Amino acid sequence: MHDRLTQSMRASHLLALLFVLASLALAAMGTATDDTFYLRLGTEALIFAGLALSVDLLLGYSGVLSLGQALYFGIGAYVSALTLMKVPSFWLAMAAAFTASLLAAIIGGLIANRVRGVYFALITFGLAQVLAKVVYNTRELGSSDGMIGIPVIEIAFGPFSVSTGSPVGFFLIVLVVIMALYALTAYLLDTPFGRVLTALKSNERRVPFLGYSAWRARMAAYVLAGVVAGLSGALYPMLRGFVSPELMFFATSGNAVISVVLGGVGTLAGAIYGSVLLVILKSIIGSWTEHHLIVIGLIFMLCVLFLPKGLAGVLRPPVEAWLSRHRRIPGPVPDAPVLPAIAVDTKAAPQ
Amino acid sequence: MTPVDYLQFVLAPQVVNGLALGIAVVLVALGLTIIFGMLDVINMSHGEFYAIGAYAALALGAAGVGFWFLLILVPVLMVPLGMVAERLLIRPVFDTKDRHVTTLLVTFGLGLIVEDVLKIIFGANTQRPPTPIPGATEILGIILPNYRIFLILVGVAIVLGVAYVVYKTRLGAMVRAAAFDRNMAASLGVPVSLVYAGTFAFGVSLAGLAGVLLAPIYSVFPTMGRDFILLAFTVVIVGGMGSIWGAVVAGLLLTQVQALASLIISPVWTDPIVFGTMVAFLVFRPQGLFGRLGHA
Amino acid sequence: MKTATITPIAAGLLAATTLAGSAFAQSGPIKIGVVTPLSGTYTPIGQQVRWGLELAAKEINAAGGIAGRQVNLLFEDEEANPSVAVQKAEKLFQVEKVDFLTGTVNSGSTLAVAQLAERNAKLAATTVSFADSITTDKCSPNMFRVNARAEQQSVALAAWLAKEKPKAKVFYLGPDYEMGRSTVAAFKSSAEKGGAQSGGEVFAPLDSKDYTQYFGQIRAARPQVVYTSVAGNDTVRLLTQLQDFGLLSGLTVVGASGTVTSQNITAIGAAAEGFATGVGYSPQIDSPANKKFVAAFREANKTDPDLYGADSYGLLFAYKAAVEKAGSTETDKVREALRGLSWQTPQGTKTIRAGDHQAMQPMYVVRVTKGKFDIIDNVSSENAIGPDTCTRF
Repeated sequence: MHDRLTQSMRASHLLALLFVLASLALAAMGTATDDTFYLRLGTEALIFAGLALSVDLLLGYSGVLSLGQALYFGIGAYVSALTLMKVPSFWLAMAAAFTASLLAAIIGGLIANRVRGVYFALITFGLAQVLAKVVYNTRELGSSDGMIGIPVIEIAFGPFSVSTGSPVGFFLIVLVVIMALYALTAYLLDTPFGRVLTALKSNERRVPFLGYSAWRARMAAYVLAGVVAGLSGALYPMLRGFVSPELMFFATSGNAVISVVLGGVGTLAGAIYGSVLLVILKSIIGSWTEHHLIVIGLIFMLCVLFLPKGLAGVLRPPVEAWLSRHRRIPGPVPDAPVLPAIAVDTKAAPQ
Repeated sequence: MTPVDYLQFVLAPQVVNGLALGIAVVLVALGLTIIFGMLDVINMSHGEFYAIGAYAALALGAAGVGFWFLLILVPVLMVPLGMVAERLLIRPVFDTKDRHVTTLLVTFGLGLIVEDVLKIIFGANTQRPPTPIPGATEILGIILPNYRIFLILVGVAIVLGVAYVVYKTRLGAMVRAAAFDRNMAASLGVPVSLVYAGTFAFGVSLAGLAGVLLAPIYSVFPTMGRDFILLAFTVVIVGGMGSIWGAVVAGLLLTQVQALASLIISPVWTDPIVFGTMVAFLVFRPQGLFGRLGHA
Repeated sequence: MKTATITPIAAGLLAATTLAGSAFAQSGPIKIGVVTPLSGTYTPIGQQVRWGLELAAKEINAAGGIAGRQVNLLFEDEEANPSVAVQKAEKLFQVEKVDFLTGTVNSGSTLAVAQLAERNAKLAATTVSFADSITTDKCSPNMFRVNARAEQQSVALAAWLAKEKPKAKVFYLGPDYEMGRSTVAAFKSSAEKGGAQSGGEVFAPLDSKDYTQYFGQIRAARPQVVYTSVAGNDTVRLLTQLQDFGLLSGLTVVGASGTVTSQNITAIGAAAEGFATGVGYSPQIDSPANKKFVAAFREANKTDPDLYGADSYGLLFAYKAAVEKAGSTETDKVREALRGLSWQTPQGTKTIRAGDHQAMQPMYVVRVTKGKFDIIDNVSSENAIGPDTCTRF
């Protein structure tokens, strides 16, 4: 038997798989029609999906709302931009963004994890505001204008090479990176660490009696979220060729929160769906009226009030039901990267 | 610059001007801390209610309503607005497990909408009502506009009035009781649901009043709600959620820190300093200066 | 090579778009994309840009269009955020296949859109951003600027100040970010060449609520002139607070062209009286062309045009002249035609300098008198333009 967590995780994986299939279909369609804009818009949506994923990891699993996750996204973006302008290497840029966001998240986590609830939200909000201001005023980082001139680079994998300027090529690269981040997060949430987080959410006081450190689990979740955001951010300058302090502003963090709420808190796959949904909404509404804030705000509010589980709350139950009917048949591996699926099976076996 | 010059032209005015700004911040934070402390609700749209108050003052003022009457009329008009907002947005999610986060999200959405609606109705340009009390007075070589003197006095009166209602009246006692233990209060005959709606509306009404008072100084524009919100939240946290005296002390203290720090270092760094104070408080004294109201 | 150095990818794109485009692009309407802030703090500027362009398009279309083709404006909201601007600009370039792009307001957006235009092998122009970098060290072969840049403005203002208040003691108050600092620095050096002395400087954070905390320093410095480069709501607060504190009497306040504009002058009210600035436009310019423009603008939008509206209006006529001269909307041909182009605008003849794509134009010093920008001095375009320091093309 699977427990409920495993069951819902598997449903998420299936949703993620559907998402990958839809993305591949878009990539194929984009190639066939020689499209640039929609593929690149899709790439941007995926990049921001990574940010939403990190917000969901905190909100949905650690139970804290970060209003400043753009901080790590921005750090990743700036570090990646600075690296690319010196050495046009994808791997080096990702490694640098990883290191920088890891360090920043450890420092930020030491401060923010002293508190919970609304205090956590305000601290993360404030941290991001302060760093955004520092960047805004630092001449070496282009200050308020940001930095342009980040080159189009070739991403090498052994014998293959893809240019960040190729709409479909880079779309697929970003898809792989974001889905890998999804898989990594999902995998980690299924380890004992993830179970401790879930336990903390349901009953904070009992967990220490089980011999787990609440602080350590939360810190780990925070750092993981920071790194996920940082790595997603690192992809941004490769796509757009510039960075600006607006990437760290509240609007960016707020959009990620909106994405998670639209997609469904605590579902991971929902965050990805939500982010794409928000990009589509903004793109459509933005061309139709300049008062898109009203529409987005209204949808968001209605979602919080009447659809607390978001889009995934609508999509997941039928998937779960389908899964439970088919649980004895080892169906298709329910995720693009295989890792979490295996982990799920081994975990579930003894129960 | 001689030391006397420095004292007269720089230091003393800095302290006095910081005081006026401090009162302004306290006025905005007052409603926030009441909603926060008593209902345990995070009202992210507090800044937008402040903006609504300012726009109401502007529109009614242009229609010929006198400033003194506005001081009463606008807060009264804000009450039903607050009641409706509480009923439609706060009540449905009041009992969710994570009330802080849910109310924060709902009111964040409301803030986005209000900002855009204000822009549709009043246009994007900055506007400003005329200063109700023009002129300036010189006290010991420090020039202070009359309206700021008035603001300081009225601010003090409002704080005292609110504190009296909350701490000394039967109404305040009912509210505090409902905040402390809802079931207990209900069994003692407190109309809890009405008290909650009333408290929220009271906080909203205070935001509107702040809008009326501050519009002549800080001008009126659709995104004005974002102006004070970080500072106001900081004041509420440093002062202790729901503590009126805490908000007053923290508001005055933080604005003085800001004013004096800006003499020594580049003013851009005053925001990080204020925020640093908030972080330090959250880390070392999360209950704030005065602890939490109703939760002593 | 004098034109853009384009990456192989962009070159491929260019080939694809021009091949696909040239077949039908020479007929049907000419599409011009406008990526401008229609929401957020910069909305009032975006409005002026929109109104100016719409009026010009209406007039051009009524007179038979550009080379016989009608002009279509396509608006997108950039939310004053470069990431949004670039996304929307790409949509206009790739999906709508616009021939030309304009509208960006903050310099970050303009610079990012310039790079995007290069990578898409299209042309763009700004009518608002006045950061010098756009046509100096960060100049782009695909970006043009038809409005006056910061240096043109400060040269004009400083020249007037040297005549009006020789050897004045000037106090500088700027917003504390790159743009504010560089504007103050530019004016300070121009003013000091004219003999002004510095009474001190202070930089206030952007969106400051209260400027009173700097008044002590201003009073202690006892300046005759205060120069400021704050803008928008910040100006409203600064000037009205100065007035409330009785500091405006006996003080000449001067500033950047974006400091007092038609968007905030009503809110500032009497505190704006006497404010002087160097600017490329005033509705008070006494020429038949401008009177006609102001009347038409008022008729259409119930408000006066300001520099943003006028420069945006003028831009479409530059584009019209260039396309008609080039006989095509192809990027390279239009770029060549725009270089060195002289054309008529409400503020007089403008000429695009070929070396850096910066428009040269006569500059005015205007002073606010009874809520109107009265012209009190002017500087010829040659004297205001400053050296061409763009080295990329």
